[in-house]
Amino acid sequence: MMVRAPAIAAGLIASAALCLAPLLLGAYHLSVLFQLLAFIALTQSWATFSGMTGYASLGYAAFYGLGAYVMALGWMVIPLWQLIPLAGLAACLLALAIGAVALRVRGPYFVILTLGISELVRYVVVAVEAKFGASGRVLFLVPDMSFLYFIMLALAAAATAITWWMGRSRIGAGLHAIREDETAAITIGVPTARIKTVAFALSAIIPGMVGAVWILRSTYFEPAQVFSPAMSFSIITMAVIGGSDKALGPIFGAAFVVLLSELLWARAPQLYMVVLGVLLICFVLFAPEGIYGRLRTAWVRTR
Amino acid sequence: MKRLIKRICQVVMAGLLLTSSAIAADSVKVGVGIAQTGFLAPTAEPILNAYKLWAKQLNDKGGLDVAGERRPIELVVYDDQSDFSKEAAIYEKLITDDKVDLLLSPYTTAAHLAVVGVLERYQFPMVGSTASSEQLKQIKPGNIWFPSPTMPSQIATEYAKLLKAQGVKSAAMAVLQTPYSLETAGLLRQTLKEQGIELLVDESYDFSTKDLTAIVSKIKASGAEAVIALTLPGDAILYMKAAREQDLLAPYQFLLIGPTGDWFQKMFGNDLDGILTAGHWSPAQAKWPKAKTFYDDYVAAYGMSPDYLDVVLSWISAEITEQAVAVAGLDKGKLREVISTHTFDTINGPIKFDGVQNATTPVMFLQLQGSTPQIVWPTDLATGQLKTKGPWAK
Amino acid sequence: MEQIASLQILLSALVLSSVYVLVALGLNLVYGTMRLLNVAHGDLMMLGGYVAYWSLVLLGIGTLGSMFGAAALGALLGFILYQFLLRRFLSNSRFAQRLESNSMIIFFGLSIIVQNLMSLAFTADPRSYNYMNGIVDLGHVRVEASRLVVLVVGVAAATSLVLFFRYSRLGLAARALIQQKDAAALVGIDANRINLIVFCLGFGLAGLAGALVSMTEAITPFGGFQYTIAAFVIIILGGLGNLWGGIVGGVLLAFIEIYGSALTSTAYRSIIVYGVFVAVLCLRPQGLLGKRIA
Repeated sequence: MMVRAPAIAAGLIASAALCLAPLLLGAYHLSVLFQLLAFIALTQSWATFSGMTGYASLGYAAFYGLGAYVMALGWMVIPLWQLIPLAGLAACLLALAIGAVALRVRGPYFVILTLGISELVRYVVVAVEAKFGASGRVLFLVPDMSFLYFIMLALAAAATAITWWMGRSRIGAGLHAIREDETAAITIGVPTARIKTVAFALSAIIPGMVGAVWILRSTYFEPAQVFSPAMSFSIITMAVIGGSDKALGPIFGAAFVVLLSELLWARAPQLYMVVLGVLLICFVLFAPEGIYGRLRTAWVRTR
Repeated sequence: MKRLIKRICQVVMAGLLLTSSAIAADSVKVGVGIAQTGFLAPTAEPILNAYKLWAKQLNDKGGLDVAGERRPIELVVYDDQSDFSKEAAIYEKLITDDKVDLLLSPYTTAAHLAVVGVLERYQFPMVGSTASSEQLKQIKPGNIWFPSPTMPSQIATEYAKLLKAQGVKSAAMAVLQTPYSLETAGLLRQTLKEQGIELLVDESYDFSTKDLTAIVSKIKASGAEAVIALTLPGDAILYMKAAREQDLLAPYQFLLIGPTGDWFQKMFGNDLDGILTAGHWSPAQAKWPKAKTFYDDYVAAYGMSPDYLDVVLSWISAEITEQAVAVAGLDKGKLREVISTHTFDTINGPIKFDGVQNATTPVMFLQLQGSTPQIVWPTDLATGQLKTKGPWAK
Repeated sequence: MEQIASLQILLSALVLSSVYVLVALGLNLVYGTMRLLNVAHGDLMMLGGYVAYWSLVLLGIGTLGSMFGAAALGALLGFILYQFLLRRFLSNSRFAQRLESNSMIIFFGLSIIVQNLMSLAFTADPRSYNYMNGIVDLGHVRVEASRLVVLVVGVAAATSLVLFFRYSRLGLAARALIQQKDAAALVGIDANRINLIVFCLGFGLAGLAGALVSMTEAITPFGGFQYTIAAFVIIILGGLGNLWGGIVGGVLLAFIEIYGSALTSTAYRSIIVYGVFVAVLCLRPQGLLGKRIA
């Protein structure tokens, strides 16, 4: 990997800007940035597992939702600093349980099975909440937006770091091997079952924490909507558009979708969705490596 | 020559911009976030229509009365994509970015709860509408008020009374697993017991259920006199289909939410005769002269009758806002004081808030007679006589 | 307990099976031949529902007639999509590979487009109508005529399809294509023609299913997703690409849904459905009638 001074400088400036954002930006734009960071964190986590192994998971809503549930249950009872990691841990444990079942199948079976499990979790929580007599949970006295912003910034940074590290590590190489040809990988001795499970569980931690922080922002927990599969589909959209292979891909993907949303959603909501659909199709067919992949190819060509 | 034309265009544009911004500066910006896409869009659309009608009617009169001065209204609408977690951001945008003068409330209880924090932070008063939950009572008054009388505790208490007054001894309950229905169900279990009514069936189901045959069959087998189906419109359809198919003839059948919608009435027509539902309004109530006018205006504008719950509540919230601004102008502090203390003359009669709650309007029960909803409880506000459910049509 | 033996419940289960089977068959056909996961399937159903609605409201044609129109429109859409878009991509091997592995995302994009175009064109208001809702008294059981229609049409369609694939030349060719793509080409089967026909059939079935469903439910632009999820669960449960798998899966799911909740409590309906789904895939990862992949 070539070390590019301008790229590093750009990265440092961006990081500084992000840290100073609460001081520089108005409340609305800060919340847009907050949402962008959340999407980056989620998409990076998706890329960590699904991007690398080619096992597209539609079940991330379950991790995100569980994290939010932990926060909704524990708010005011357990200190925030313990709750967020607890949310991540819960999501990780759920991933281990789900992985034991889901990682045995491949391809479209895996995709739909993860969706099915995510829905199962959703309905279980709905039933549990109904039994508790809880009908939606309101969170009062939540922390300030700037405070939540920094937590989300940390999560996005951590997720990006994990994806970057995974890409260069041995376990990452193993995951790539699985994507290329799983049978061959098994033959040459890659411990596929183990690394799949580890990667899957690891990839759930950040989404769990993101869910916990997000629910503090929206202040209302309602299981049917928090566990909605729409979240899973959004993540895949951003991963595809941005490129799910390298750590910078999801950043581009999330940024693009958020930017597009800001430009169009306000004026023509249905049209915005149609444009998004068209873009999605075009990217998959014509630019499967995503925005970032394309940029890299262009960069390499100009040198 | 080209340059000259370009120059002229620039001047004209600048002129237009200046004059248009001059007009714009005069108008009152009213912001609202609502579902224009996603699964809530079908039921949210009539509400947005009500808001638009309100703005239009005022603009036709010269605008909103701002403490004596008429200023045109400009509605600023954003789509929350049926996702209440976007609501807080939208309302923050409306306040800080679009710098609206007034806010109208979003759709659903969840969306209301999501914006409470934002209203508190910016001390921006807003009259709520389609929110109904016991949890609302925990909210500090000052920036949001809830005109809806269909609170779960109210419904539970009053409906048990209604049944007792009819001499009902047994009931069966079917509950959709959604916050509003669950809250109401929990309270109903207590109030029914208090009124000496035995609950023979107590079943719940989730929102993806496509067939209520099993539950209705169980209810029919139990022979309960009163059926209480705590539904939303989607599953209310399933109940009607199943009840009709199995010829469920329990004399008192109650659907929590559904029958007040125009498309629901059109779908079932005379089959709805005798069905009871929760509400608090009717255009036929002569004590509220504005009610019929609103009803006629809405029908004339949109070709369908306004939903007696959601649309009416949204209109009321706009009415209250309008009347408060006429007295207090756009100053937030004054508005807060006026909304908290005045009595407002709305299409639903007089409304006065006590804390965050509507202290004047009682919960009412409507019964579809023919396919028109009539108020049947409380009896002093009734527009029709409560009767038992007759045989199903056809 | 006597509830379980009730004919009323049995009939409900059969009617639901009918809808599920129709939906699953359409999806399976497209997947079986071209390995494409049509996430927009439920939205195509809604489109079919709109055709039925507008036929009744504007032209006075009841669903018995308009359902053929709905199926035709679906098939036409499939035709256009295939001829003018998919064929070009499938012929280029690079695109074909991308299409297959990313079909879910591509059709998801299509789903968003269809949903929002419908919303723009028809507004989001729920559309419902009364048609054939007279009650038919069959002795121990009463049923709405429209639900009987759903059952009859569903059975007829499923039967015709099974017969078609079993006995007609086209059907046999399609099955050959499903089983062994390359070998089929060697034997002289025109893959393109078969793909086109099957694709149109699949889309047509979605339109038909939607028209039927519109008799009993309100149609909205965003209401298709729940059917898409159900359809996917069914075909995975039954075994991808396997026609009988789709039929078995559809009937099984409907019966589990109705009887499972009647036996325990309707509160657990979805938990039972998804629970069974997960359990089956645990024991048989290829689905009930699917072939083992590796």
